[in-house]
Amino acid sequence: MRSDATANERPLPDERLREMLSMLKLARYVDERLEALYRQGRLPGAIYSGRGQEGTHVGTVFALEPRDSLFPTHRDLTAQLAKGLDLNRVLAQFWGRIDGYLRGRDGNSHIGDWDGNRTYAVMSHLPIAYPVAVGAAWAYQRAGDGRVALAICGDGATSNGRWHEAINWSAVQRLPVIWVVNNNQFAYSTPNEKEFAVPTIAERAAAYGIPGVRVDGADVLEVFAAARDAVERARGGGGPSLIESVSLRWRGHAGHDPAKYVPTELLEHYMRSKDPVKNFEERLRDLGIVDDAAIAEMQARVEQAFEEAHAYALASPFPEPGDVDKGVWAEDGYWTSDPGRGGGTEAG
Amino acid sequence: MASTTVESGAAGHGAEPRGKRSEDGQATYLIAVAEALWEEMERDERVIMLGEDIGVYGGAFKVTEGFLERFGPDRVMDTPIAEETIVGFAVGAAMEGWRPIAEFQYSDFMSSGFDEITTVLSRYHYRSGVRTPVVLRAPSGGGVRASSFHSVNPEPWFAYAGGIKIMCPAFPSDAKGLLKSAIRDDNPSLFLEHKALYRRIKEHVSEDPAALIPISSAAVKRPGDDVTIVTYGAMVHKALEAADTLAGRGISAEVVDLRTVYPIDEETVIRSIEKTSRALVLYESFHFLGIGAEVASVIAEKAFEHLDAPVMRLAPPNHPVPFSPPLEDAFLPQVADIEAAVDRLSAW
Repeated sequence: MRSDATANERPLPDERLREMLSMLKLARYVDERLEALYRQGRLPGAIYSGRGQEGTHVGTVFALEPRDSLFPTHRDLTAQLAKGLDLNRVLAQFWGRIDGYLRGRDGNSHIGDWDGNRTYAVMSHLPIAYPVAVGAAWAYQRAGDGRVALAICGDGATSNGRWHEAINWSAVQRLPVIWVVNNNQFAYSTPNEKEFAVPTIAERAAAYGIPGVRVDGADVLEVFAAARDAVERARGGGGPSLIESVSLRWRGHAGHDPAKYVPTELLEHYMRSKDPVKNFEERLRDLGIVDDAAIAEMQARVEQAFEEAHAYALASPFPEPGDVDKGVWAEDGYWTSDPGRGGGTEAG
Repeated sequence: MASTTVESGAAGHGAEPRGKRSEDGQATYLIAVAEALWEEMERDERVIMLGEDIGVYGGAFKVTEGFLERFGPDRVMDTPIAEETIVGFAVGAAMEGWRPIAEFQYSDFMSSGFDEITTVLSRYHYRSGVRTPVVLRAPSGGGVRASSFHSVNPEPWFAYAGGIKIMCPAFPSDAKGLLKSAIRDDNPSLFLEHKALYRRIKEHVSEDPAALIPISSAAVKRPGDDVTIVTYGAMVHKALEAADTLAGRGISAEVVDLRTVYPIDEETVIRSIEKTSRALVLYESFHFLGIGAEVASVIAEKAFEHLDAPVMRLAPPNHPVPFSPPLEDAFLPQVADIEAAVDRLSAW
């Protein structure tokens, strides 16, 4: 965990730190607004809040380059935004519109933009993306061009056999991949103590012969430092690493879940003392990188971005029902065709 | 069907499989499969192979013997026993531009990779537009006294998933041409090689590396006028044997070999029914919800006015393949069963 010695370090240029804060604030605002719209019955489908875990998402993804790939879960919309996804098209996906990244074929945070921002379209059966990340990382190793893959799952997914399969395989071949576990302490309603018998997930790394580190997910820069080390190691041929980033899931598993199984004192402690957004904002303020005016302006920009994206999504047409059976096979050309009728261009 | 012999005259390591043909130039089913793999590996450097014991050992059935020496460990990869990750790896590598062929030692073990096949591989293109040109190949089927866990016909499990083309060839030429088509196709494929045929049959097989058999194209293997037997895989040979005997009794049976079981070539099937007006659907996957159940539905829906008798099905019951020879023989449709079924159909 963060020591006083690292408290005043600036591991990134000030501008990049401001971008981090802006992304954290955007993520928090998007999460809150989507939940409000969901509860008002104005958002179709489901939501999977990542609130309280933004430090894990932003801290890890900021260690990546655009050419690196990200294999996230439904909890990791913030990671996808940090990787570069356009909020307009993200919200178009939430509303099932043609301008969504998946053209309405999937919804909510089951999103991905492989050809653009190198993010893998999320699937529910966690950690289903871990094996796929092994194959991608093999391709990067083979190409020898320094690219890396970073895959995220929750603590719950570490109980699944694929978690072992994928990490083991990547270790055997020393593949350039970073395995991130967003330990938000609950697998839906099941707490850590009913998931695994070892004190930490990070120490499991030893069983695979790879480095493992446990970091405080409330401290963005601590997460970033661990991710940067792991990325550098992977780029340099040093193989995979495991990062366990500890936070708490502030909201339910999905929008319908009031999460009454989370002890109130625990939740209050995290919301009060381990808010990654608030803590980082205070840190940048202490370092003199932002002041009240800059923070207010940042917040206003975030809110404006959301409202514009919301309007964009609602203005985007629904997919054509007649197209429902297209795109199963590559040769029908659906996915290489112009989606047409869209409200926006690629960049929104 | 039960007897298998060790391939004689096998060429040494690193030698191309064509050298393993018989003196008169004929190729077994196994050699035809190996030739297809070899030629496609030579043609396209993006083609890679992975699987358990396919490298040093040359594969459980020795299909890939000599490949490691010729193409090297970067393209012929021995993997851990981790079927979910074998499939996931193939998907990840395909997304990065490679064309992976993953071998399962037996198709039975495809169930150990079920989630990555049915949730990732089958759905990824429809959801996201990202192509995953992966070929999963495996020996399938019964009749070799291999009992419950080495005799399965998994094609219905995966046809139901959608999004994966499934081939079950009966002849060496079809096996070679179809496998080459599968490797070149931009969609995922399941290529099921009937293990009872591997060394049992041989025929002249084209030496032209450009010779392909189109996917989703059935073939009339024996023309006839009185009844159509629609079948695939090892059952084609039993149908042809039955047709010989039936011809001696004045019944002219047409044998239609589906070759690809998903998506099926409805046109060739219906054209045959239009001619014969009687249909026996013969298949080795289970009776209930097996491939033939769908074929029978297609005939009933689209060729009803041409039928002079109800569509009849002949297939094993939905329970494990038994070991003891009399039990397995009773389980699998035999030539006498086919003749009896055709007699009932003819007498209608």
